[in-house]
Amino acid sequence: MKPRIGIIPGDPSGIGPELIARLLASEGVAEAADILLIGDAHIFERGQQLAGVQHELIPVDARQGSWSVSGGFAWHETRTITRDAVVKAEATRASGASVLATLDLALDLARDGVIDAVVFAPFNKAALHLAGMEHSDELHYMADRLGVVDYLSELNTLDGLWTSRVTSHIALRDVADAISEERITEAVALIDKTLRRSGLARPRISVAALNPHAGDGGNFGREEIDVIEPAVRRLAGGQMAVDGPWPSDTVFLKAVAGEIDGIVTMYHDQGQIALKLLGFDRGVTVQGGMPFPVTTPAHGTAFDIAGLGKADVGATLAAFQLACDMVENWRDA
Amino acid sequence: MSSPAPIALTCGEPAGVGNEIALKAWQTLGTDLPFFWIGDPRHLPAGSNISLITDPSETARAVKTGMPVLPIAFEGDAVPGVAQPENAAGVIAAIELAVDLVKTGNAGAVCTNPIHKKALKDGAGFAYPGHTEFLAALGGVDQVVMMLACPELRVVPATIHIALSEVASTLTADSLEATLRITRDALTRDFGIAAPRIAVAGLNPHAGEGGAMGREELDWIIPLLDRLRSEGFDLAGPLPADTMFHATARTRYDVAVAMYHDQALIPIKTIDFAGGVNVTLGLPFVRTSPDHGTAFDIAGQGIADPSSLLAALRLAGHMVQARA
Repeated sequence: MKPRIGIIPGDPSGIGPELIARLLASEGVAEAADILLIGDAHIFERGQQLAGVQHELIPVDARQGSWSVSGGFAWHETRTITRDAVVKAEATRASGASVLATLDLALDLARDGVIDAVVFAPFNKAALHLAGMEHSDELHYMADRLGVVDYLSELNTLDGLWTSRVTSHIALRDVADAISEERITEAVALIDKTLRRSGLARPRISVAALNPHAGDGGNFGREEIDVIEPAVRRLAGGQMAVDGPWPSDTVFLKAVAGEIDGIVTMYHDQGQIALKLLGFDRGVTVQGGMPFPVTTPAHGTAFDIAGLGKADVGATLAAFQLACDMVENWRDA
Repeated sequence: MSSPAPIALTCGEPAGVGNEIALKAWQTLGTDLPFFWIGDPRHLPAGSNISLITDPSETARAVKTGMPVLPIAFEGDAVPGVAQPENAAGVIAAIELAVDLVKTGNAGAVCTNPIHKKALKDGAGFAYPGHTEFLAALGGVDQVVMMLACPELRVVPATIHIALSEVASTLTADSLEATLRITRDALTRDFGIAAPRIAVAGLNPHAGEGGAMGREELDWIIPLLDRLRSEGFDLAGPLPADTMFHATARTRYDVAVAMYHDQALIPIKTIDFAGGVNVTLGLPFVRTSPDHGTAFDIAGQGIADPSSLLAALRLAGHMVQARA
């Protein structure tokens, strides 16, 4: 049975619709999964125009449960925003509301078992906030809607290297106080579980330090000694292959050398700088802690090139392929 | 036209890898980029190809037959991997001599091999937090800026060896302004870039995203950058740090200014682990050093990689030319 992947086009003001059109035209995609497109007609039309491709969209009502089609892509039509309300390269309340409406529907369909996974093209957080989203990011919005109370973290992945973070979208001055043994333990457990679900039997995980030179023996900060080392020691005594804390300017080299599969970072930019440097066009974000796979390209709406027809599909393709892999392993797990 | 004065290379910690990478650097550079090594020749491996000199002016001739060595007698032996406290005074004397020679024009630049701070503190009461602060004192300047450079990236951390929890409270508009001024002036003077394009990283994720994840950008970073722009600085930012270091983004600036150590070190180590160079901006002379430590764990085995020292010597040579 092929994975059933729900796809939403993301913020209509950005490059999302173009990316989805390019994704559907990419080699092997139509064959790899049963794809359900969820979104407005004019948004998919515009994406195809920009990408210079044409797809046959076959209307279905996915709420009925069975929606498989042949000879085109199944399409559950929504009417979330008028054509005129789409403003290129601007974060608007209307575009945010459109995203939330399609996202809600996709989540409902996945929760009800009508699709196995959700892939979304980039959202714009400012637009989501304008549209009334009160959560710090879409991950917490989704979890709230689905009633998930487990530990949540964005996971980022590139060419087989995974990162999770102990803190995410918070001010740098608040990071050190937010680091605790409990949160480190949760972040390690989440990346371990997610890596297993991506097909690795025993993921090798390294934990990054918080301070420069891993604190240099307490000279530049004591969190390594007081918090991170005890957490890692305790985890390493259990079932997981975990070590650290490693200085964050060299831990990525261990990953590049293939010595480890995952890195638990302490804060947002610690992981994102290296990952985006190593493969800006290929990185994927996984919404960790959700009851089904949810993936998206790691880049944003790219307003600077929206509407120009030159968006690179690489990361979106990687997000789609990862969602397919995760569905397979999710079934086995 | 006379050739530029040779580069003074200090020995650094004799128990570390400095000695062996210096010899490897001479083997590679030969007469192309003359330097002389300041240290105790007894610390070099037996049978090393060296040419003793008594004055830097002899370097150009001496370099043809061996690594030019301006000798200083140290108290102790070099024991790989084990710092000898009695050598601390010699390590410091080598740095002081190098600075004297570059100040008097007998050396064109100073390149320093790694020191071991604890050994210097234990052996000679060395009171400076590091090499850079010591050189600033010898150079008679209050504030210097550390820059890391490789062929693909130049990056300056605005704060360095402090706990991450102290970064936000340590950074101020005054300190960042001083960093930006020193950086711009040095790029012009030492790198020959008439109007350097400087990219400034945000402190917070997504550069604060309009105050949603930290307010420093709104409260003082953006106002500072605006003021400096009105003065003629070519500044971009504050930029989200995670999207400013990939290859395309790097073509848009000559130097990046990061807010804290790892924001600068993660990108440069990821791009070029072995070849990064540490440059001190704002000194009255050119100073570079390899961007690694004493590597006690591999010292004395002959396996140390000289890439970073080679890059440091070459960069010093370029900077001397740009200043000329």
